[in-house]
Amino acid sequence: MPIFDQGYQHWTGPLSGHTWRWLAITRRGVSAQWKSWWIKAVVFIALIPALALSAFLVLWGLLEQKSSILTPFLFLFQGLPPEVMEGAKGYRAVFWTLAFHAFFNFELIFSMLLVLLVGPNLISQDLRFNAIPLYFSRPLRRIDYFIGKLGVIATFVALVAIIPPVLAYLIGVAFGFDANVFADTGRLLVASVAYGVVIVLSSGTLMLAISSLSRNSRMVGAAWIGLWVISSVSAGILTNTVRQDWCPTVSYLHDLLRVREAMIDTPSARAKLRELTEAGQRQAQGGMVRRALSKMARPPGSIASRGGSIAPPNNLPPPPPGTDAYGNSTYSWQLSAGVLAGLFVLSIGILSSRIKSLDRLK
Amino acid sequence: MLFDLRDLSKTYGKIKALRGLSVAMPEGAIGLLGPNGAGKTTMIRTLLGLISFDSGGGEVLGMDIRTRRLDIRQAVGFVPEDECLFPSVLGVEFVAYAGELAGMSRTDAMQRSHEVLDYVGLGEARYRKVASYSTGMKQRIKIASAIVHDPKLLILDEPTNGMDPAGREEVLELARDLAHNKGMSLLFSSHLLPDVEAVCDHVMVLGHGRLLLNGRIDELKRPHAHEYETRVRHDQAAFASQLSVRGVWSEPFEDRLLVRLGEGQTLACLWETALETGEQIRSLRPRQSTLEEVFLSSLAEGD
Repeated sequence: MPIFDQGYQHWTGPLSGHTWRWLAITRRGVSAQWKSWWIKAVVFIALIPALALSAFLVLWGLLEQKSSILTPFLFLFQGLPPEVMEGAKGYRAVFWTLAFHAFFNFELIFSMLLVLLVGPNLISQDLRFNAIPLYFSRPLRRIDYFIGKLGVIATFVALVAIIPPVLAYLIGVAFGFDANVFADTGRLLVASVAYGVVIVLSSGTLMLAISSLSRNSRMVGAAWIGLWVISSVSAGILTNTVRQDWCPTVSYLHDLLRVREAMIDTPSARAKLRELTEAGQRQAQGGMVRRALSKMARPPGSIASRGGSIAPPNNLPPPPPGTDAYGNSTYSWQLSAGVLAGLFVLSIGILSSRIKSLDRLK
Repeated sequence: MLFDLRDLSKTYGKIKALRGLSVAMPEGAIGLLGPNGAGKTTMIRTLLGLISFDSGGGEVLGMDIRTRRLDIRQAVGFVPEDECLFPSVLGVEFVAYAGELAGMSRTDAMQRSHEVLDYVGLGEARYRKVASYSTGMKQRIKIASAIVHDPKLLILDEPTNGMDPAGREEVLELARDLAHNKGMSLLFSSHLLPDVEAVCDHVMVLGHGRLLLNGRIDELKRPHAHEYETRVRHDQAAFASQLSVRGVWSEPFEDRLLVRLGEGQTLACLWETALETGEQIRSLRPRQSTLEEVFLSSLAEGD
């Protein structure tokens, strides 16, 4: 029997417009990547900090309400200055900001890991299998292709860096029982989403650009890890040798961290906490909870997080260039934003030129 | 009109890929012939709206190739020469993905995928990974993914390259059926002239970026004024020998004899020779050019 005897019907059904064509690429990419157990594992492990953030916001809400439900957990708040215990609502913005800051410290690492797991295949696989004509001989523009691929990275980054903080925020709001909660912390919600978008745009376009340069996905992954390691090591070396404020901006992760500090305004929260703690020091002789608070307020490795008083001791060496004694970056966040913007433009340029040359059929 | 290109020029650096190409082709199955570097691929890219050109213009299916590139690609299906398949994807998913890229909803694309896979004869293999397909099956799934959105024009670039005879025949049958029974126009680019002849009604020959020849194949294969193909009942060799005695050139060709009459000779020579040798002429017809001859002579004229 000839193979065509089973008939061919003309298609008379609807076709969508061009606006959402990229979504098919994203959907297929997400579906294909989700089959990986590594990715599932990272996504689920990344939920732990989100659960911790949610738990903190819930407990804080209960503290604000002086709820009896909190009684079994009061030990967690031992050592907080009495004015915080009595007027927790007044310190809501400070503690929420610091909690979100700590949360994003973890999630940035998970985001980078997910970009590493998801990204290398996105374009390099199409190159490897000569699949570029599959896309560009169809009613797709290059921008649809880019957005579709970026959407895959965006979906996974959103799973750990956008959706969890938004949900945690809403849970915190629900337990706040206060009309002022949006006024106090609304900026955090906007900043969290905006920061997630920054991670997606920056790391996503950078990864796609690297992915478009090689048919070998492993090479792309190695290049991505190299970007972290080399830029971080270079920043460390420069910081210790050149000793200029701009040296940390050589590190890609540090740039993301600095931009985040500016977006959620961590320095203000730290300053308020410092004032609070110093006042508490004058009244009490310190304690475990205070040290815990100090650690939470300082990034790992900062001078103040090494224990003892939050106020800068006089007998320690000077802080490294680019940070003050409290762990706050001293250089302009615009510098880091400029570096990220430059990388973004470079990535777009690479993608544009690479795919422009690739969409020419052999 | 299927496509109408006017004075189209395209340069890659110092290389002139198209030199004022002007051609208008009607709907139907069109063979695209030409040696390497003739401009075939550049012309296909132009039809698909993938590249910008230096000068000229034209329409594909009535749509301007400068301004309606996406609309053209919506109405055109393309089967590239390269494999361009995802090995780890199931056949049905691959074709459905192509449908989604063409604008179908996920459900529609999946349903349509099943239909076209049945049509191209891959119904039994639809849930197998593409990596496990044979060369012929891969070619057919490429065709399935190109027709999933029911294009008006299907461009096939070297569709039978590297295929075994059975697989090649299946692809040719498929192309023939699409062109002649399903109302789909074809642009069939191939180096294999028998394949083009088996599928196409029209042919266009490119050389050095210019159109060397185009027209209906049956018209291009014109009869030769003084050449005939003949078949005799018994001894063809003896008949040829007697012809040569009479000064008539002849040459065996397959099961026939090619005969060329010289100046002043007429068909009467053949009848007289048959009488002399006691042969019976079973068929006699004017010889027609083969597509290969048409192709080669057009290239020679182009040079």
